[in-house]
Amino acid sequence: MSDLKQAQHDRMKTISLGLVVVVGIACAALLVRWIDTVRPPADPNAIDERLYLDGKTARRMSLGFNGLAADWYWMRSLQYVGRKIISVPEDVVIDDLHQLNLKLLAPLLDTATTLDPQFLDPYEYAAIVLPAVDVQEAIRITQKGIEANPNAWRLYHQLGYIYWQQQNYQAASETYGRGAQIPGAPSWMEAMKAKMSADGGSRATARELYMRMYEQSAEDQVRDMARRRLLQLDSLDQRDALRKLLNAYQARVGKCPSSWKELDHLFRAVGTPTDASSAPLDPTGAAYILKSGVCEVELNPKSEIIVK
Amino acid sequence: MAEAINRADTAASISESNTRAGTRNGRLWRVTAIARNAFREAVRDRVLYNLVLFVLLLTGASVFIGELSGGQERKVIVDLGLSAMLLFGVFIAIFVGVGLVYKEIERRTIYAVFSKPVGRGEFLVGKYFGLCVTLLLNVAVMGVGVSLALVYVKGGWDPLILTIWPAVLLIYMELMLLTSIALLFSSFSSPALSALLTFFVFIIGHFSADLKSLAGSLGSNSARWLFTGLYYLLPNLANYSFITPAAHGQAPSAGLVLLTALYSVVYITVILAAATLIFSRRNFK
Repeated sequence: MSDLKQAQHDRMKTISLGLVVVVGIACAALLVRWIDTVRPPADPNAIDERLYLDGKTARRMSLGFNGLAADWYWMRSLQYVGRKIISVPEDVVIDDLHQLNLKLLAPLLDTATTLDPQFLDPYEYAAIVLPAVDVQEAIRITQKGIEANPNAWRLYHQLGYIYWQQQNYQAASETYGRGAQIPGAPSWMEAMKAKMSADGGSRATARELYMRMYEQSAEDQVRDMARRRLLQLDSLDQRDALRKLLNAYQARVGKCPSSWKELDHLFRAVGTPTDASSAPLDPTGAAYILKSGVCEVELNPKSEIIVK
Repeated sequence: MAEAINRADTAASISESNTRAGTRNGRLWRVTAIARNAFREAVRDRVLYNLVLFVLLLTGASVFIGELSGGQERKVIVDLGLSAMLLFGVFIAIFVGVGLVYKEIERRTIYAVFSKPVGRGEFLVGKYFGLCVTLLLNVAVMGVGVSLALVYVKGGWDPLILTIWPAVLLIYMELMLLTSIALLFSSFSSPALSALLTFFVFIIGHFSADLKSLAGSLGSNSARWLFTGLYYLLPNLANYSFITPAAHGQAPSAGLVLLTALYSVVYITVILAAATLIFSRRNFK
């Protein structure tokens, strides 16, 4: 009998302690929620707080864990840019983030690449995102990548891209030329050298460059940027063609068409995709807007095509 | 209970080895018996439970890291997996290594062991190899874990699997060296101090390149000699760091691995000899 009582007592004790654990965890979770509501909001400037360690010091202190530390700085760079992008309401493209005040991005990428100089993705990110923030740092980090990885032709492609953006076509041509000499570099690097030299500012060169970037990059954000830039170039070509049509119509009829319907037969003849109201569609499927007053074609505000 | 089992195991193993004591392999048998016992003790002390944490870490990383790393999950998995392997191994080497001798003294089982014809050197070397076997098992299972995580992330065979194993071997050599240092310190000091000193050696060992450059930049001859001496005296653990290149698909050359293995053998031999020298003079009364 006493054994039975003892067993019951033990069971009650187990149940009671289990309840204390479960209820205690629930109470702790509720308290955390309460504290979250009472605690003053985090300092919005904390995200931009200067790094405590530079790359060389971080590498020295990493005790052989430098690869993991580089991964951490790389992921921190992505999170840093991601948080800034989320904080602005408008649609942004990663090669034009100057309005986001990304002052910590260069030190983060510099530290990641100093910790692991063979880690190529941060160099690519620096070449794409940094020029809008600090072009000298973008060039410095990419050149550092070339010094550490002299056989990585992609880094020459990325440095050439930075020079092209700066409209320094001569430097871009030279960079593509040096990259083309590397064993294993694709033949288009040599072609790009010639294009940069002869016709660096043309839309065809831009198209070729973004096409290669889209093909070569493993980074989703970079591929998305290249895709959107290619759509923008397509849209620019379409708008030029539409302007020509409008000018031809105006020259023939003596006035600008009041609606796209008046050009419907022409669109059909050249196979331009249109919506139900005969408005031509941009590459993202949004209808172009006709400004009949000035005989001009404009992007639809709902369109995903990049304006700048 | 576990203590009684350990004592019975040790006594039984040594008695068995003593029957062979007259043979040429008697010493080897005694060392093997002590090593086997040290391994069993480590398993009973749940040292291998760290593998559960490691598996959870890698599983979490394999599933979630793709979201955070911008398409670099394979590199992150190798970096994370091999770094965790080194870190967990260092903790085992330090915290288990410093207790190898101390626990035997504290439990007074060392008197039972030394009442048999077992040399102090044999005892130390046996304990050392016991922990090395534990670490080998730990590192091998973790290596398989990293390989499986790579297969999961890639959705099939990944060539990185071939390049991580030489790095795993180098990590294991580093852990063997660190274990010998922990054993050396524990042969004459308390576990807490031994752990601290071994951890310092681990840190300084990874700074050895700085010692060399510091020696080169100093004006004073005596300071230059001091730091150059320290550079050659302290273990150069940077030689074993091949995690980052492994994550980029680069394997160390066979020559480098062999030289590093030779360096490990020489250094471990020196450390174990020094530990035996100190331990032999220790009075347990």
